[in-house]
Amino acid sequence: MSDTQWPRFEVFVQERPGRPHLHAGSVHAPDPEMALLNARDVFVRRPECASLWVAPSATVRGGTAEELPQLLAAARTEPGTSSIEYLVFAKVEERGTLTHVGEVHAAGPETALAAAQAAAGATRPLLALWVIPAERVERTLPEEAPSMFDPSRHKPFRDQAFYHIQTALRRLRRDPSAIGHRQSVESKR
Amino acid sequence: MRLELRSLLADALLGLADDEMILAHRDSEWTGHAPILEEDIAFANIALDEMGHAGIWYRLVAELRGEDPDSYPDRLVFHRAPDEFRCIRMVELPKGDWAFTIVRQFLFDSAEVVRLQALQQSHHAPLAKAAAKIAVEERYHDRHLHAWVRRLGLGTEESHRRMQTALDQLWPDTVQLFEPPSHESELTAAGLFPAAEPMAAEWAEGAAATLADADLKIQRGTPGMNGGREKHTDHLELLLAEMQSVARLEPQASW
Amino acid sequence: MTDDERLAAFEARIARGEKIEPGDWMPPEYRRQLIRMISQHAHSEIVGMLPEGGWITMAPSLRRKLVLVAKVQDEGGHGQYLYHAAETLGITREEMIEALHSGKAKYSSIFNYPARSWADIGVIGWFVDGAAILNQTMLARSSYGPYARAMVRISAEESFHNKQGIEIVLALVQGRPAQRAMAQDAVNRWWWPTLMMFGPHDSESPNTPALVRWGIKTRSNDELRQEFVNQTVPQAEAMRLTLPDPDLRFDESTGNWRFGEIDWGEFWRVVGGDGPCNRERLQARRAAHEDGLWVRQAMAAYAARA
Repeated sequence: MSDTQWPRFEVFVQERPGRPHLHAGSVHAPDPEMALLNARDVFVRRPECASLWVAPSATVRGGTAEELPQLLAAARTEPGTSSIEYLVFAKVEERGTLTHVGEVHAAGPETALAAAQAAAGATRPLLALWVIPAERVERTLPEEAPSMFDPSRHKPFRDQAFYHIQTALRRLRRDPSAIGHRQSVESKR
Repeated sequence: MRLELRSLLADALLGLADDEMILAHRDSEWTGHAPILEEDIAFANIALDEMGHAGIWYRLVAELRGEDPDSYPDRLVFHRAPDEFRCIRMVELPKGDWAFTIVRQFLFDSAEVVRLQALQQSHHAPLAKAAAKIAVEERYHDRHLHAWVRRLGLGTEESHRRMQTALDQLWPDTVQLFEPPSHESELTAAGLFPAAEPMAAEWAEGAAATLADADLKIQRGTPGMNGGREKHTDHLELLLAEMQSVARLEPQASW
Repeated sequence: MTDDERLAAFEARIARGEKIEPGDWMPPEYRRQLIRMISQHAHSEIVGMLPEGGWITMAPSLRRKLVLVAKVQDEGGHGQYLYHAAETLGITREEMIEALHSGKAKYSSIFNYPARSWADIGVIGWFVDGAAILNQTMLARSSYGPYARAMVRISAEESFHNKQGIEIVLALVQGRPAQRAMAQDAVNRWWWPTLMMFGPHDSESPNTPALVRWGIKTRSNDELRQEFVNQTVPQAEAMRLTLPDPDLRFDESTGNWRFGEIDWGEFWRVVGGDGPCNRERLQARRAAHEDGLWVRQAMAAYAARA
């Protein structure tokens, strides 16, 4: 049996309810459930997160503005095939990232891309476009949110604001006699 | 609350605190050495959660004993001798291989879920509140560990063998998970602490089901070490020697 | 389009401040340099977990213990983000791990030094993470999208690493004589290796010109090194710690702290694999990997049957 680092899953984070899911990176995991759990531990060490999605990297179709024309040229209708839902992610700002913009129904990924391009690219140029079959996206359920995401709020020591260094150094500069005396520098809880 | 009851409750909570602290210490030994990067990060989270829980329980103990909640926990953790600790023996054992760690964590956390559920009914409001907060985090541990136990139990012949070996080693000591605390009847009569027996039964049923799903067999009848929470394995002394080594360089100092 | 035309268009994109995304045309050299740089950066984070991770079991208070676990966990997380960024360029994590374990891949040589005392943990956060932040802030503007985004995420998390280190040192210098001495000793050992972290003088760095041209490296090694010295000397002064450089003096005309010459012999020895802990670090990573083989295989086997 070969040794692998397991397949990759793309990770999408929704920071607050009502905001779109944003592509945050990927995790390696053996299966979708582990991918969801790993994504939570890798990407939600700090607030905020209201919802998490993962999808196998292998199910992602699409590319950058440079690649799209070639990908779309391959679009064709498969006769008699039923259409399924695809989630659409688009990057529209240089400093942004792939953002969930909606869904399309299509018989295949290339057709989905064409439909997504038409819908999402109607009013502004797309820098990158992804479509992913909705059934392959694993999502956290609303009732899971407290145990998945609240614990990150209970760890204020991961926030730089927890450490009052500037104050402590200023105090020492004003009164260096503190060096040599036992004094607590811990921030108040 | 009567002074005597406060003392009994503090003693019971000290046991829970020591459990979390020592287990968190063992968990943290995996940081940088886990089987894959994602799990290294995930397991560090479990260690952080457990350490946080230890801190919560230690603070409750401080409040019940009239001690300073900011400094008492560190005194308890870094300046008690091994025979003063009140953790169960299972958490003291070296981390072993990944199977041992997962099985131990599963057995411990699944017991905690049952206990926390019951503790939320405590008439000591700070305890009920703490239990509710901790229970939210434990629900995630539960999900994570269930996933691992099932996958490793069923995965390959080797993973199954390692998991079974770990379970055989750990099961005898699980009897300590729900050993009644000192003067349990007084604590339960006052509605402060839940009775051990019903919790033990609930836990055993749930754990057995999960283990069976993972094709892991419970070998009943092998007795564990004798003695209550004041009796420890040789491992605790070594663990504490390391854990307390820097703090004890300057015992009165602030670090 | 000819390759020359493609290259010109690519460089024009970078000049316009556009982000290069996975799938975009890029010169092979850009891809090669980025894979090298990003994977090296990722390896540094992972190996960096070891010197500090070893002190988790001895952290002297609950607060210190919690914070150190969180910090080392972050380092793992940062390695994870960086491996992801490198993967978008076509290299696999299996390949990167193999390169690290075989000794082919480099990582920041600072992690080949041992953490000898608890004070080292404080000084590492203060010096090494202080230095890393300057580097990361620059890289967050990188022309390659996934790298820039990873660096933005990392930068946001890194600041606490530096502060928790200073907090440790503050406690030591305001403590007992033995604690102050421990802090001074750690400073004496970590100062020069930290200055070496910024790399050789740019005139001697073979990779720099391409990285500058393509919007990866926007500040020179020497510039970043000087900024680090300027930010750290006042902190050391406030804590009454001596930096082990007799040539350190403030230059009124430039506003810079001038410092002595680095021992480049030591730098190249450690980079070349002959540092105090090079072998130990790789051995630890190899051991973790080998011990974890049955686990990875078991999880994969379960998934294959599902």
